[in-house]
Amino acid sequence: MTQEIRFNLNGSDTVYTGNPADRLLDVLRNELRLTGTKCGCKEGECGACSVIIDGKLINSCLVAMGSLEGAKVLTIEGCTKTPQFAALDKAYESVSAVQCGFCIPGMIMASQCLLANNPHPSEAEIREGISGNLCRCTGYNAIVKAVGTAAEEGNGLW
Amino acid sequence: MVTSFTPRSLDEAIRLRQKPELTPYTGGTDLMVNPNEDASYLFLHRVPEMKRIVEDGEYIRFGAACTYTEVIKHPLTPNILKEACLKIAAPAIRNAGSIGGNIANGSPKADSALIFMVADAKLRLCSAGGERLVPIKDFYLGRKKLDLRPDELLVEVLMPRHGLDNYYHVKVGARNALAISRVSFAGIMDIEDGKIRRCATAFGAVSDVIIRLDQIDQMLDGKTISEAKELKSAYLSAMDEAIVPIRGRVGIEYRKDVCMNLLRDFLEVNGI
Ligand SMILES: Cc1cc2nc3c(=O)[nH]c(=O)nc-3n(C[C@H](O)[C@H](O)[C@H](O)COP(=O)(O)OP(=O)(O)OC[C@H]3O[C@@H](n4cnc5c(N)ncnc54)[C@H](O)[C@@H]3O)c2cc1C
Ligand code: FES
Ligand code: FES
Repeated sequence: MTQEIRFNLNGSDTVYTGNPADRLLDVLRNELRLTGTKCGCKEGECGACSVIIDGKLINSCLVAMGSLEGAKVLTIEGCTKTPQFAALDKAYESVSAVQCGFCIPGMIMASQCLLANNPHPSEAEIREGISGNLCRCTGYNAIVKAVGTAAEEGNGLW
Repeated sequence: MVTSFTPRSLDEAIRLRQKPELTPYTGGTDLMVNPNEDASYLFLHRVPEMKRIVEDGEYIRFGAACTYTEVIKHPLTPNILKEACLKIAAPAIRNAGSIGGNIANGSPKADSALIFMVADAKLRLCSAGGERLVPIKDFYLGRKKLDLRPDELLVEVLMPRHGLDNYYHVKVGARNALAISRVSFAGIMDIEDGKIRRCATAFGAVSDVIIRLDQIDQMLDGKTISEAKELKSAYLSAMDEAIVPIRGRVGIEYRKDVCMNLLRDFLEVNGI
């Protein structure tokens, strides 16, 4: 029941040997122990499982492993090594945008993707960029502010 | 043995489609909500012929594997389609979900399919034996029943190039993976020199398939606005009779009222 799937994970070439119908989210968390990617719904509704595949924000719960042949996958673990993350981290902290933290890895991935495509987003564009990421704690305003701050402070990074 | 394939050309994809055990998979945003661990997938997102958006004399040709994000960004995409795609879910779903998956999933709630219906788009279906061009309206045979043979792939969606500018589109209620009921409506009133060249309407999330009553809409074709006004009550009562909502989470009467209100508003904004 197994097949070899070759892809790049956080900068390293990786071979996954398993069922190509497996969900990326399950493989990340249960087999590769990359538990920064969270599981909130497995239905594409919450965004806690967000990763970046070939430069695009994707819900890893809706990805079959087989579709990754030749793809580049970035998870929050890979993202934390970048200067862009440092700017986001600082901005989120400076406006106290984190409460329980469950949604935050997904929020960071969405923030990173948004700023990579649009380095100076308006407030409406920030809200749209994180519209697939649910947060039960913050009411979003602090997160929106954090992304705006990161865009200003990290000027030139994106 | 579960084996999946990622073809890199249309020929290869069509050849692999002859294996009945393979399930076509484009963005996975419908398939992976209830994933089947035993499925063998035919991944279509790396077939270049299915990722293109090009035009010919008559049509804009959308590759079936184009994602919403790709459709929204493309300069050839008509505004009616762009606007409907922007209203779909959130960025991550739009980055993965494809128009081909939306059409082939067969849901009456499918938002891009609604637009292709009102535009009278055609579907290019290919198999090893050849290809056929099917009007999208004829593709939907009934609840989750498609005119798609098990050896065929939806390869392109052909949308007419002209006559789509004067449109009306409304999506009532939220959409999420749990298929919360709502109503969607799209209308096109192509008017030239005071005459209606083409009137077209489509209703989503109301019946087993998207409702497209083209014969009733044609009552208004070729008419001036004042002639259309005279026909208005006959047109509306024909529509009222023909739109039959199926049972759903939201009441039948409510959905019927919403349909008729949207239809009346569509006529009114066009002076009818
Ligand atoms: C959170 C969430 C929100 C959503 N919101 C919306 C919304 O607002 N509006 C809306 O319309 N939809 C919505 N959807 C549904 C879904 O995203 C869309 O229907 C999407 O277009 C499906 O495309 P896909 O490429 O992901 O399809 P897949 O899941 O890959 O495939 C869907 C079906 O089509 C078949 N198929 C795919 N490609 C082909 C082909 N080329 N030839 C033949 N068969 C094919 C597959 O075998 C499968 O049966 C939502 C889904 C989620 C999870
Ligand atoms: S776990 Fe993937 S979107 Fe919620
Ligand atoms: S901080 Fe708790 S869910 Fe966002």
